[in-house]
Amino acid sequence: MTQTTAAPRMNLVGRRSPYIFEDWDARIFRVNREVFRSDEIFARERRLWDRLWLYLGHETEVPKPGDFKIRTLAGRPLIFTRDSKGQVRAYLNACPHRGTILCRETEGNAKTYQCFYHAWTFANTGELVGIPDPGAYPPERGFAATMGLRGLPRVENHRGFVFVSFALDGPSLREHLGDAREYLDFMADHSERGLEVIPGTHLYSIRGNWKLAVENAMDGYHFSPTHVTFVEYLKTTGYATSDEGGRAITLENGHSVLVFSGHGGRVGMQWEPRFGEAERLRVEENVRELTRRVGQERAARVSSTSRILFIFPNLLLFDIEGLAARQLEPIRPDFTEVRAWELAPAGESAEARELRIRILGSFIGPGGLATPDDVEAYECVQRGVVATAGDPRPEVDWSDISRGMERESRGEPARNVDEAGIRGFWRHWDDLVTGTKA
Amino acid sequence: MIGTITRQQVEDFLFQEAALLDEWRLDEWLALFDTSTTYEVPTTDRPNEDPHRSQYYVWDDYELLSARVKRLKSKHAHAENPHSRTRRLVTNVRLGERSDSSLEVRAAFLIYKIRDGNVDQFVGRYEHTLAANGAGLKFRKRRAVLELEVLRPGGRLSFIL
Repeated sequence: MTQTTAAPRMNLVGRRSPYIFEDWDARIFRVNREVFRSDEIFARERRLWDRLWLYLGHETEVPKPGDFKIRTLAGRPLIFTRDSKGQVRAYLNACPHRGTILCRETEGNAKTYQCFYHAWTFANTGELVGIPDPGAYPPERGFAATMGLRGLPRVENHRGFVFVSFALDGPSLREHLGDAREYLDFMADHSERGLEVIPGTHLYSIRGNWKLAVENAMDGYHFSPTHVTFVEYLKTTGYATSDEGGRAITLENGHSVLVFSGHGGRVGMQWEPRFGEAERLRVEENVRELTRRVGQERAARVSSTSRILFIFPNLLLFDIEGLAARQLEPIRPDFTEVRAWELAPAGESAEARELRIRILGSFIGPGGLATPDDVEAYECVQRGVVATAGDPRPEVDWSDISRGMERESRGEPARNVDEAGIRGFWRHWDDLVTGTKA
Repeated sequence: MIGTITRQQVEDFLFQEAALLDEWRLDEWLALFDTSTTYEVPTTDRPNEDPHRSQYYVWDDYELLSARVKRLKSKHAHAENPHSRTRRLVTNVRLGERSDSSLEVRAAFLIYKIRDGNVDQFVGRYEHTLAANGAGLKFRKRRAVLELEVLRPGGRLSFIL
């Protein structure tokens, strides 16, 4: 046993950047608070996001040919649509002619988009199909062919989750997801018919930096103190939670995941008394079907552990009491817009759907019993980190993210109530922002 | 009794309710509800969707509403501790369909929520179902529909809408 204490600490390397201080001898990890305040860093992040894969939406948001939604991503207004041939597309929502916002409805179904300014008309497959008085642009010069809708350079769909990139080249989505793909697949595995988005989107904003929302989601440490009133409510329903056995796992490319094994109660997958008898029978059937489809070992992982997965940089996936996707859209260093969807097995029964909506709704979202306290946390940090800006004492303007380093340095797995997942996020963010990694 | 309820009586009820909320007298407010009641706030992009098949901001039965009140009275409801200052303007009250035991009410609301140096406005309409018994009017369904496109800049419905 004495040998193990002397074992080399794998990957426990230190770091000294303008933003991150990591010292494994002292077991200290600190983040400079300028990262939450600086316009200059925010501008650099925007340029980074132009190179990364970003989550756009779920394909079931545009189920039928012609369905569209408009959505702003990395500050760019987009049209997210399924074209008449059934292909999921993403276009810049700006007329190629003079840059006018092309689609001014928030959602609908359209075979074509017509710019109101000069009445140029585009097919939902992208071609410029109509120009008033086209004689000004002789067809033999091929003008129209160069003036089609500006599609996003890359659009990829992984099991219904649609990601886009504004960059012409770079790593594939598969490469970007890396080992996070396995956890995303656990969520998609819930149903053989795939997942679908439930109608009704939580659209809200927080007066805080987007990275605070990432930290919060990858932080099991805050749950008990921040959500004490929600935990009290859960106790009254007979629902027991425990942090025992929970893990924080740092994944490739800045992704990370919290795994909870001490949570009972996952609608459709793990029964608890408050779900009622009818749900017990549904759960048994679902788990039987799942086991046939993916095998016993995988079925156990899919059905009986809860997960919160962060896909760098803008997607949080909740595979907990219910299923949810949360997209972060940074607006300013101190302001972020959030869009959150609830997901469900496609075509599940009305009773199962209602239960799912009730159970998750009590917890999550701006009107739930828990999320508002998270929002209070982001906003209080944003208001608080102003206090230390420019402090003459060099150690003061740093936030501490060291929890769990002692265990980690002994080679023990990181717990979900530690801050390892947050550290993984910051290391990758630091590599990108400082240009250490392309 | 429901057949003789006047608009003035409904307005008195709604104005008194607004005062209870603005004064954070939440136990008295909860007493305005029938135990079969719901409190609903649909999302801004699907204001007319059925809550049984749609995500809502709030879809409380009486039990969850009671838990919400209990939470808001706790000093650990951090999002509302300290409480926001609120002032509700309830207006354009119209009476709709009546049944033997209930009455549809429509009204407009504008709520100012003030906290931490921010003044946030929440504007929308109420689509309530009221019931009447010997003790007066009660909510059978209390539904607040926001006209906002996004909860922005104030992003939390930690208070009662």
